[in-house]
Amino acid sequence: MEQEKRPNALLDPLKFRAAVYDQIRSEDAGFSNYSYWRSTLRTFFKSKAVVLLVGVVILLILMSVFYPIFSDVDPTRISRLPLEWNLRPSREHWFGTDTLGRDIWARAWYGVRNSFLLGFAIACSDVGFGTIAGALWGYNKKLDPFMIELYNIMTNIPSTVYLVLLAYIMNTSYLTLFISMASRGWIVEARFFRNRILSLRDSEYNIASKCLGTSMRRIAFRNIIPHIISLIIMEAALCIPYSIGAEVFMGFVGVGMPVDAITLGNIVNQGRASFTLHPYQMLLPSGILCLITVAFYVIGNKFADASDPRNHV
Amino acid sequence: MRKYILSRILRSLITVAIVFVAVFMLLRLMPLSGYFPQEILKETDEATRMTYLRNQGLLDHPLLQLWRFLQRLFQGDLGRSLTVYPKVPISTLLKEKIPVTAAFGFASMVTGIVLGIALGLLMVRYKDKWGDRAGTVYILLVRAIPSLIYLFFIQVWVSKWFHLPLVFYKNRPSSWILPTICLSLGSIAYYALWLRRFMVDEENRDYVKFAQVKGLSKKEVLRRHVFKNAVIPLTVYIPTDLLFIISGSLIIETLYAIPGTGGLLTSAIKAQDNNLVQVIVLMYAVLSVVGVFLGDLLVAFVDPRIKLTEGE
Amino acid sequence: MKRLPALLLAMVMVFSLAACQSQKPPASNTPGNDPNKPVSEQSADDILSTKEYLKTYKTSFSSSYASFNYFSTAYATVRSIVANCIDGLVEPDIYGVYIPSLAEKWEHNEDQTVWTFYIRKGVNWVDHTGADTGLSVTAQDFVDGIRYIGDPLNGAYSLRVVRNLIEGLYDYYWDLDDIDCGDKTDMTREQALARFNDMVGVKALDEYTVQYTLTSSAPYFLSLIESSMLLLPVEYDYAVAQGEDFAVDNEHMLYCGGYYISHFERDKAITLSKNPLYWDLEHITVDTVEYQMIPEGTTSLEMFKRGEVDSVSVEAEEYLTLQGTEWANGLIPTERSLSTNYLWLDFAGANPEFNTFVQNENFRKALQYSLDRVAIASLRDPVNPQRILRGTINAEDCIYDSNGMDYTDYPVLKAIKETDYNNPKLARQYMETAVSELCDEEGNIKGISATQVDYLPVGTFSVDAKLPVTVIYVGTDDENEIVMAQLMKSMVEEAIGKDLIDFQIVCFSGWTYGTVADPLNYDIYFDSLSTGYADPSGLLTRMTTDGAENVGCYTVPEYDELVDRAMEADTFEKRLAYFAEAEAYLCNGAYVIPFISSLRGYYMTNCMPFTSPLTLYGNSKFKGTLVMDRPLTLAEYNTLDAAYELARAEALKAD
Repeated sequence: MEQEKRPNALLDPLKFRAAVYDQIRSEDAGFSNYSYWRSTLRTFFKSKAVVLLVGVVILLILMSVFYPIFSDVDPTRISRLPLEWNLRPSREHWFGTDTLGRDIWARAWYGVRNSFLLGFAIACSDVGFGTIAGALWGYNKKLDPFMIELYNIMTNIPSTVYLVLLAYIMNTSYLTLFISMASRGWIVEARFFRNRILSLRDSEYNIASKCLGTSMRRIAFRNIIPHIISLIIMEAALCIPYSIGAEVFMGFVGVGMPVDAITLGNIVNQGRASFTLHPYQMLLPSGILCLITVAFYVIGNKFADASDPRNHV
Repeated sequence: MRKYILSRILRSLITVAIVFVAVFMLLRLMPLSGYFPQEILKETDEATRMTYLRNQGLLDHPLLQLWRFLQRLFQGDLGRSLTVYPKVPISTLLKEKIPVTAAFGFASMVTGIVLGIALGLLMVRYKDKWGDRAGTVYILLVRAIPSLIYLFFIQVWVSKWFHLPLVFYKNRPSSWILPTICLSLGSIAYYALWLRRFMVDEENRDYVKFAQVKGLSKKEVLRRHVFKNAVIPLTVYIPTDLLFIISGSLIIETLYAIPGTGGLLTSAIKAQDNNLVQVIVLMYAVLSVVGVFLGDLLVAFVDPRIKLTEGE
Repeated sequence: MKRLPALLLAMVMVFSLAACQSQKPPASNTPGNDPNKPVSEQSADDILSTKEYLKTYKTSFSSSYASFNYFSTAYATVRSIVANCIDGLVEPDIYGVYIPSLAEKWEHNEDQTVWTFYIRKGVNWVDHTGADTGLSVTAQDFVDGIRYIGDPLNGAYSLRVVRNLIEGLYDYYWDLDDIDCGDKTDMTREQALARFNDMVGVKALDEYTVQYTLTSSAPYFLSLIESSMLLLPVEYDYAVAQGEDFAVDNEHMLYCGGYYISHFERDKAITLSKNPLYWDLEHITVDTVEYQMIPEGTTSLEMFKRGEVDSVSVEAEEYLTLQGTEWANGLIPTERSLSTNYLWLDFAGANPEFNTFVQNENFRKALQYSLDRVAIASLRDPVNPQRILRGTINAEDCIYDSNGMDYTDYPVLKAIKETDYNNPKLARQYMETAVSELCDEEGNIKGISATQVDYLPVGTFSVDAKLPVTVIYVGTDDENEIVMAQLMKSMVEEAIGKDLIDFQIVCFSGWTYGTVADPLNYDIYFDSLSTGYADPSGLLTRMTTDGAENVGCYTVPEYDELVDRAMEADTFEKRLAYFAEAEAYLCNGAYVIPFISSLRGYYMTNCMPFTSPLTLYGNSKFKGTLVMDRPLTLAEYNTLDAAYELARAEALKAD
């Protein structure tokens, strides 16, 4: 045991020397301290673009939370002087004023805040209900024909038909808007999760693990659920920009929010009418909209990549 | 196999029937005043309006209306539009509108697939280099910028730079270019994105590594193996896309004054044109069911590993 | 090609006549003094005679032409085609004076209840290729027009005025309807149809004489002929044979006007070609009219710049961006609009707070005086908003008495026109008076209690029966209207004070009128009304307590009485005077609040103005239109306008 190994002749003895056998550390090598979440996050943040975009999103969220609290500019203050309408950007109004002299900079942040809230709510409901329904759907074979039928029917009825009806029986409010936007997304998500759960359950490493005698419970908690959670995060991230865009369509059908409500969709919609004449009115809101879309899209996709254990090496 | 197809058809029929009846009944829940535009409502009294509705058969029991519609449908009569195109036979409308939209739809689908696959290949070929980055930027921009902004830009400025007409004219082929491009922008991004994703997935497979170890060049591997396998998941959607070329884009058809089907369903629903809505819904439901079915058949055909029926 | 120069010469003569008289125009009217009104250095007739004129007019439409059935179409846009394709009995000339069209002459009895028209001979119907069908336009075709609309199964729209005016038509229509319902069983449908000739007051006295018998005196009957498509002729056997296909496209109808529809592509293009058999061919100056669909407003401006359409309307915002460009001198303000925008107040709504207050005249006046109308008008014309203001219900410059005096210049209405309604201080005073009358010390509104207001489908609202008064303004979801509503809200709340009024805006898309206004699902509602023909009765008789247009359900017996007096007046002047009083009563009591006209913005055109018939009530005709190869400038327009106004005043006096 004490006997020293003979150093290789080719190696310079000044630079190399044989290691002393260490029982504890040799045991250690057989055990990996791999943690799925730590690796996922590490892989995720390895990309500089991701760090930047996460920073941007955090900044947008902070700005939209704190601007309305600390600013004293009223985003709904209408000017009765036509001279103050459609002003170009100036020191007082950084991004100009809109058709009725309201400050676009202030409106944009209120809009971002409301749109984010709406987007998060929709994302939670779509992905939340979607996951539950998808899990049930995936694990219960008897449910399968019924759910497929439901899926086919729901995706085939044009949403305009029931949205117009919904607009007819309900008040214009955030709640109505939420209900109409969340009415269909969940089944699409459910189908997605059902497919992913099935393919995960039947994937080779899980079958192998099962053959080795691992309990289903352990497989579910160690292998399937962590992966599903990362899918949930990805889907939710992709859902947010989508729902901000969908809001515009809802306004078109008439199940919009209250007139005075400020959301990004609303602002972009209003600016659209005078886009050719006052393009700068669109600059900030659509810029932010673009940024949100790009950021969440990239974050969602990179997260999906990072959540795949094969990319952790 | 025959049994499988029969049961698929049966199930599809049930889906279509449920969708159709649901929409048919929902439409009958709408308020009666919705059948009249504002100008008419102000000019007529209640009694005259009811007379009109009764003569149109709109006051009958919904089930009776459904029965009448089905009877006519089997005689090949789709009925007449109520409010959007008063009294115009729906078959005439569709005959006029579908060819226009379908021509653009087909052209843009071909453009989308060809350019989309080209872009996807470019992105894979130069993965993590300029080609990939440029493609990603394009995909992101198409998704992120509100479509109205860039569509408007294309219509006004691009048409000016290249001296192209602002709107569509049947007899001026140069006016077909911009709408087709606009229509395919999204599908180019779509095909490129998924092709890249699927090809990158394939590239990590063992057989690819093996082929490279055997000494095949990267180009060869991509062309001979990876591409073929990566295209398979994309083919599922081709029949659906092909069938749905007859549903146009509301925004682009409006911008370029293309007399197609783009806004037809939405305007019919908003104007409460029941007859028109139910025909269009029926048509789209049938197409989408058929599209999914054909997609499954096509995949089974191109990929011998996939079997539609278990245990065969 | 000889006709055009001849016509030009005629026009030049008209204008030079006017120019002669303009030697000594009243000083205030001299256009050159106003820096905002540039005038051309050329005289009116020089402008006319030095231009090149084209044979094709290119124009656009924005919403689809669904059907050309002039009896059962819902859309006013169809008129613009039909007006050129089917001639009526009479038509206006370029000054708006009625001249013969399909009727060569006409006469009426003393109380203007029986009108006889002598039809032009030798006019034939043509088909969509311009070929003669051999069917001639006779008195029977006018009778058959009424026969067609009198049958409920043909589903004619906008029947009200005509059905009530022509004797017997009302009963004939409802008899048929009762038979269809099964309510009337003592005669068959055929028997009822056969009674048309005896029952309904329209008769072909001989092949070329048609006589209308009316239920009441109608001095405005000629303008009704211009405005209502229901009085147009129809080739009955042809229309019946076509059944439901009648006029769904250009191939299923017949033409007798200056043009026929030679090409029809749904939602895309329509071409009108000159009718080679037209009786008045020498006045058809444009051979082809090409319509194309341009759904987006901004595109049409760009298309005008590229020369692909010959005229375009320019919205307020676009106007500003065109300043300083080569197009700036071609921007011509839109001339006139007969349509008035006003606010309906709901006197029978479910909102107890508003309902209590609206019965109080002081509150209504507070609302009336709180609006800064100039600022609202600035949304439509930022440069010269004044021209959009209108305080009266009927439009100015369209109804004249036999001395040529404008109806809105009758003293009581003139006073309204001259009132400045932008007076926040006064508004607050009125409101305070109203509050002192209707509320107790703590600000509780007397006689009501807190409740939930059900205005569904618009929405539900809770009110607390305390000040501030909750007011629910309902408008459409049109972007421009929302902006206007928001501006009004800020004005009302600023003038009256947020402590006294809480102005809520609810926007509602789709079925606005039928689900909002008719069932009274609003407190304040924005709408427009337009003067339909050259008589105030057109609007005012419909606004009486039980009138069809009294959407707000007010009860004003004084007004009703004035309207009745006007209807019974023995001279036209007296009639107008009573009507003016009635109209002023309604406005001064703020039962409705008219505030601006529907005028919007500007236009650019390649057409010579004042060359086609002045169609105040119907749609413009292309007869006589002269199309230039370049846009008209504002200076030229002003010069022509000045000459035209003088000539028109002369023509109206002569009429």
